[in-house]
Amino acid sequence: MTMHDFVIGGQWLFLTYFVGINLGYLLQNVIAAIGIRKYLQTAEQYEAENVFSSLDIPITIIVPAYNESASIITSIKALLQLEYPQFELVVVNDGSSDDTLERLIEAFDLREFPEAYRASIKTASVRCIYRSTKARNLRVVDKQNGGKADAINAGINASRFPLVCVVDADSILQSDSLGRVVRPFLEDPTTIAVGGTVRIANGCTVRLGFLEKVALPRNFLALIQVVEYLRAFLFGRMGWSPINGLLIISGAFGLFRKETLIEAGGFNPKAIGEDMELVLRLHRTMKEKGEPYRITFVPDPVCWTDAPEKLGDLSKQRVRWQHGLGEALAMNRSLIGNRDGGVVSWLAIPFYVFFELLGPIIEVLGYVFILICAWFGWLTFPEAFIFLGLAIGLGVLLSTSAIMLEELSFHMYPKFSQLLTLYSVAILENFGFRQLNSYWRFKGLVRWLVGAKHQWGSITRSTSLADQ
Amino acid sequence: MELLFQSEFNTVTKFALWTITGVIVTTVVLFFYTVGLRFATNTERKRRKCFLEKWRDVFAAAALSRDAALLLELPRLVESEHAHLLEEWNLARSIVFGDAADNLIVLAGRIGIAEIAGELLEMHRVQSKIVAVQTFGHLGDKQRFDDVHALLDDLNTALSITAATSLVEIRANRGIEIVVPMIAKRRDWPRNRVSILLREAGSDLISEPMYRNIRSASDDDKKYLMQFARLMESEVRDALVEELIRETEDPGLLTSALKLVSGYRGVPRIVALTQHKAWFVRMQAAKVLGRIGQREHLGLLESLLEDTEWWVRYRAAQAITSLPFLGPNELRQMQQRQKDRFAIDILQHSFAEVGLL
Repeated sequence: MTMHDFVIGGQWLFLTYFVGINLGYLLQNVIAAIGIRKYLQTAEQYEAENVFSSLDIPITIIVPAYNESASIITSIKALLQLEYPQFELVVVNDGSSDDTLERLIEAFDLREFPEAYRASIKTASVRCIYRSTKARNLRVVDKQNGGKADAINAGINASRFPLVCVVDADSILQSDSLGRVVRPFLEDPTTIAVGGTVRIANGCTVRLGFLEKVALPRNFLALIQVVEYLRAFLFGRMGWSPINGLLIISGAFGLFRKETLIEAGGFNPKAIGEDMELVLRLHRTMKEKGEPYRITFVPDPVCWTDAPEKLGDLSKQRVRWQHGLGEALAMNRSLIGNRDGGVVSWLAIPFYVFFELLGPIIEVLGYVFILICAWFGWLTFPEAFIFLGLAIGLGVLLSTSAIMLEELSFHMYPKFSQLLTLYSVAILENFGFRQLNSYWRFKGLVRWLVGAKHQWGSITRSTSLADQ
Repeated sequence: MELLFQSEFNTVTKFALWTITGVIVTTVVLFFYTVGLRFATNTERKRRKCFLEKWRDVFAAAALSRDAALLLELPRLVESEHAHLLEEWNLARSIVFGDAADNLIVLAGRIGIAEIAGELLEMHRVQSKIVAVQTFGHLGDKQRFDDVHALLDDLNTALSITAATSLVEIRANRGIEIVVPMIAKRRDWPRNRVSILLREAGSDLISEPMYRNIRSASDDDKKYLMQFARLMESEVRDALVEELIRETEDPGLLTSALKLVSGYRGVPRIVALTQHKAWFVRMQAAKVLGRIGQREHLGLLESLLEDTEWWVRYRAAQAITSLPFLGPNELRQMQQRQKDRFAIDILQHSFAEVGLL
C-alpha cells in the first residue's frame, strides 16, 4: 500500500464515519420533530383540563444527598411544594461528612422513627429513619456511605408508593413536573420508566427553590452546555423514545415503576453511569421476561440543573460520563445482537457503541490524521480545510436543528438576542471546545478500559440553589 | 468558490466538498426558518393578545347578564380570529355553570359560533376539529350529535376523547350508552379524562351501563374498567364488587374489587382471601378486614403479622391498630406476646405512626 492509498483510505474512513454519525443524528432529529409535534398537540388539549383525579398514581420522590449542606433545605422546601395530589419525599443522607443531616433535623423537626424497614434491595447499613413533624410526607433515611446508587436503593426500600421519582438534591423542578412525567404511566400501563428534559439553570433566577425567570448564563462554558443539552434532550432522547429505543434517563430526574425497579435489582452501586446502566438493565429484564413495556421520554422542560462553569469541573464530568457509558454498555452486553432485542439490540446499542462510545477515538484520530497529512504535505491545505470544515459544519447543523426544535416547541428563551446568542455559541463551540470535549471523552474511554475506580462526584456549583 | 469545485481534488475530497456545501445550505435554511418562526410566533402572540383584549370583557359581561348577552355590541371579527374565538369561548363556557352557561350560549347564537365550528370541523387540521367538537359539546348542539359520533373512532386520541366528552354533553343518556362500551377498547384515552367524563355525567347515569359492561367484559377489560367503578352509585357498585369477589380467581381483578369493598357483604370469602397465594390479594383482604373491624377476625389479622411479605404485615398491623375495640394497653400486650421478630417490628412501626409509643 502506498502513502497515497493510505491517505485516500483514511479520508474515506473518516468521511464515511462523520457523514454516518451525522445522518444518524439527523434521522433522530426528524423522529424527534414528529414526536414533539404529536406530544404538543395532545398536551395542549390536556392542559385545559389538567385536573388531578383519583387515578393519578402516588409517587415517592427519592433525593440522595451527600454533603449537600449548602442547598438541601431550599431544595427540600421546594420539593414539598410540588403540585401533585399524593406524594412523599424520602431524603437519603448517604453518610455525609458535613452537617447535611443536622440541618435537615433542625429545619424539619425530624424525629427518629422505628420504621420496619424492608431491604428489598441490599444496601449499606441504614443507621436511622426520621420522620418530620412539620411535613407529614417527609422522611429522612440516614445511612452509611455507599455511593449515589446505594443511597437511591435505600430510598427505594423505604418508599411506600408504586412510582418512584429520583431527583438530584441540587435539581430545580417545575412545580407541575410530576403531573407531566406521570402522564405516560396513565396513558400506557406498560410504561416502566419516564425521563424528562433537563435544562441548564445557570443564569436563571431561582427563588425559594423554584425557577422565577429563565435566562441564558453569562459564563461561556455554561452557555455551550445550554446548546449541548438542547441537542442531547430534544433530539438525542426524543429521537429514540417513539421507537422505544431510549437508553438513558437522566440521573437528575426520572420516574420509575418501583416493582420493575426492584425486580431488576435497583441501581447498581458499582456503576459510574448508574442512570444509563439502570435503563439498559430494565430493557434487559423486560426482554428476558418477554413482556411488553415502554420506556418513554417527555420533552417538557421539567428539571433545571446547575452546569459546571469551570473547565476542571467540566472535564471531570465528561470523563465520568464516558467512563460510565463504556461500563454500562459492557455490563449489559448480552443485549447486543439479542435475537428478541428489537430496536434496542439492533439499532440503539450499536449506534451508542459505534458513535457515542468509540466516537472520541475516531474524532481525535481524525483531527490528528488531517493535521499530520497537512503537515507532511500529503493533503493540500485547501483539502485539509475542507475536511475540518465538514466536521465543524456538521456540528453547527446539528446544533441549528436542535435550536429549531426548541423554537418549534417550548420557546424557553423568548428574546431575539437570546436566539442569536444560541446560534453564535453553536458555531463557536466547534472551535476548541468540541475538540477538548473529544479529548475528555477519549480520556474517559481509556479510564474505563484500564478499569479506573470512581466515587461521588463533587463539582463547584453556581450559587443558584444555595439556601435562601 | 467556482474555482474550488473545478480544482484537481480527488473523488473523496470532492465528495466532502459537495457534502459541506449541502450542510452549509441546510444550516442557513434552518437558521432563517427558525428566525421566521420566531417572528411568526411573536406576531401570533401579539394578535392573540389584541384579540383577548377585545373579547374577554364581552364573554365576562355576557356570562354575568342575559341582557348583556343579548344586547352587547360585539367587536368586529375577522376570519383569522375564528379559531381563537372558539378556544376562548370554550374556555369561558367550561368554567361557568347554570345561568352564566346559558347566557354564553345565547351570546354564541349571536356571534354564530355553531356555524364557525361547522367550518372548522371541515378543516384538515386536527386541532381545528378538536376545537369544533368541543364547541358542539359546550353548545349542546343536538344536530351535530352524529357528526361528533363519527369522530369517536378517530385514531387521534385527543380528538376521539374530546368527541366522547362532547357526545355526553350533547345527549347525556345516549352518549353514555355509546361511550361506556368504548372505554375498555380505547385504552389510549387518558384515564383521568375518562374519569372526569364519567364523574361529570353523574353516578346515577353511569351506574347501570358500567355495571352491564363490566359484567359482560373479559377479565382483562374488567380489571381496566374497575378503575372507574368508584364513580358508580354505591349500591350498584357494592353488588358488582360482591359478585366479582365471589366469582373470580384472577388476582388482579380480586385486588381491584377488594379495594372497593365498603360494606359487610361477602365477608367469608374475604376471610378466605387472606390465604390467597398472591401477596397483594392477601394485603387487600387484610385492609378490608381492618375496615370491617370485627373481633372475630383479630386472630386472623394477628397471624398475618408473620406473613412473608412486608406489605401484608404492614396492612395487617395497620388494621389491628385501627380496630376500635382495642385500646393502647391491649395493643402493647399483643405486641409482647408476639414471638416473630417481623411481627414485633411491624407493630412497633404501626404504633409509632399513630403516636402510640
